[in-house]
Amino acid sequence: MIISRLMQRRVRRSAFILLLLTAPTALAMAAAGTAQQQVLDQYAQQAKTADAGFNGFSADRGKAFFLAQSAAGHGDTPSCSTCHTTDPRQMGHTRAGKEINPMALSRTPDRFGDINKTEKWFARNCDTVLGRACTPREKGDFITYMVGL
Amino acid sequence: MLASGAGAMNRGGGSLARRKSGLMVWDLGVRLFHWALVISFALAAYTGFLGPRNWLNLHLIAGIAAGALVIFRLVWGWLGSRYARFHSFPLSPAAMKAHLAAIIAEYRQAEQRHPGSQRLGAPPRHHPEAGHNPLGAAMVYALLLAIALTVLTGAVALGGVVKQGPLAFLVSFDLGLLIRDLHQVLAIALLCMVGAHLAGVIFESRREKINLAAAMITGRKPIPGAATPEPHQAARPGMAAIVLLVLAAAIVPATIALARLPGRGVPPATLDPIYAKECGACHFAYPPSLAPAAVWISMMEGLDRHFGENADLDATTAAHIRDYLTANAAEKWDTRPAHLFRQRDPADPLRITATPFWQRLHRQLPEALFKLPAVGAKGACNACHRDAGTGRFDPQSILVPPILVPTEARP
Repeated sequence: MIISRLMQRRVRRSAFILLLLTAPTALAMAAAGTAQQQVLDQYAQQAKTADAGFNGFSADRGKAFFLAQSAAGHGDTPSCSTCHTTDPRQMGHTRAGKEINPMALSRTPDRFGDINKTEKWFARNCDTVLGRACTPREKGDFITYMVGL
Repeated sequence: MLASGAGAMNRGGGSLARRKSGLMVWDLGVRLFHWALVISFALAAYTGFLGPRNWLNLHLIAGIAAGALVIFRLVWGWLGSRYARFHSFPLSPAAMKAHLAAIIAEYRQAEQRHPGSQRLGAPPRHHPEAGHNPLGAAMVYALLLAIALTVLTGAVALGGVVKQGPLAFLVSFDLGLLIRDLHQVLAIALLCMVGAHLAGVIFESRREKINLAAAMITGRKPIPGAATPEPHQAARPGMAAIVLLVLAAAIVPATIALARLPGRGVPPATLDPIYAKECGACHFAYPPSLAPAAVWISMMEGLDRHFGENADLDATTAAHIRDYLTANAAEKWDTRPAHLFRQRDPADPLRITATPFWQRLHRQLPEALFKLPAVGAKGACNACHRDAGTGRFDPQSILVPPILVPTEARP
């Protein structure tokens, strides 16, 4: 009797501890989710301004964009996947030998949460790979693909 | 079989007895000194001439040991037993000349008795040297002096070139390089002197019919007519120990204290945090001392075409980083990398791996090494130079990852 009651209490206590432990993580994930959503909202607004017929971002288009090969860039990096590998859940490698954390949000939860950082890297890498700036729709598709992975 | 074996043992025992009966010439101090010096000299020569760069610590241990042994020998030349003392073998040009003349005279006599024969006649000598002969004595002093100078020049070179050791705070890179050349000349001279010493030992062993190398092991020379008791001067090991302890108590802490002083012209070990974060995002954050200011300026002006990639920064960050890099560029520092990376490849001046210095030092490494996941690229200095982030590039900090196909792609 006593033992089973003790066990019950222990189970309840561990459930409570588990809740205490997971709550901040869940909160952080929700917060990260909103941060990424805010970035996406900004790109959606820009996309609408650029094209009245814009009807939302697509993860499939983002994936195709990520894997596409381009000859118009600086030459050494014809695709996003040159450095980030064809699986964004994997570690990438810069040409200088440095590791890049995975692009997928599931692996690197703070990706695309900061508009300034996101803009800095799109500005650099779109020029490097494509030889031009990316459109808001391309950026939004890209992030949508990475958020869903 | 058994009988002959027993006979051999008897003969062995007999020769041992004869040796024991010889005159005790080299006391334990001299013998230990001699063979310890042989070991430290061999180690220093091997690590200095043939060993890889990252064995520098072994070379330093060997050099420090040789220096300590020279100090011991100087003390023992004063407080050792009779034949260890310097006044028993004075440096005497007159005696050296007489010794040479005696050798030439022996050859002439042999020639007269057995014309055409090159063998030494070896007429009975009245005074075979118990200790060093005059030429051997000169060699002892020459070796002690050359070893002392080699150790001292090594310490100066270590301080100036590698910015390590008790003189790192004092010696400039340029002086260090100059003295390192002298260190190498002395080392080659020492090798020649050791060769001459060995030749002299072999020659005199045959001439005097005494195994001088064995005498340096047993300490005894079977000298005929040495039965006459010589005025014996005993060693004073207690006094020698006190003198050596006093010397050690002065030299060791002073050396350690000097070695702890900041090296002359050595940049701070940590990087500007903004520079480290922004530039270290894509590649190893090269310490600013690895390139001259002109290179950093053109680097920062061409960030949109940065080694085949766009690496643009906002104006504020870019200005901060440019100021940091130019204020801490290679011209400001005195380390070996800061000096040698100032020379750039005219065709590719910004690329550190294109510099003549980098190319020369890495020419023996296989291309496959740089493609290892643990390395990634040629510009990843810190993959092998564990202290690359400090800009020091100490030889001892080199740790090349193992590679399974070392012969692939070797030039």
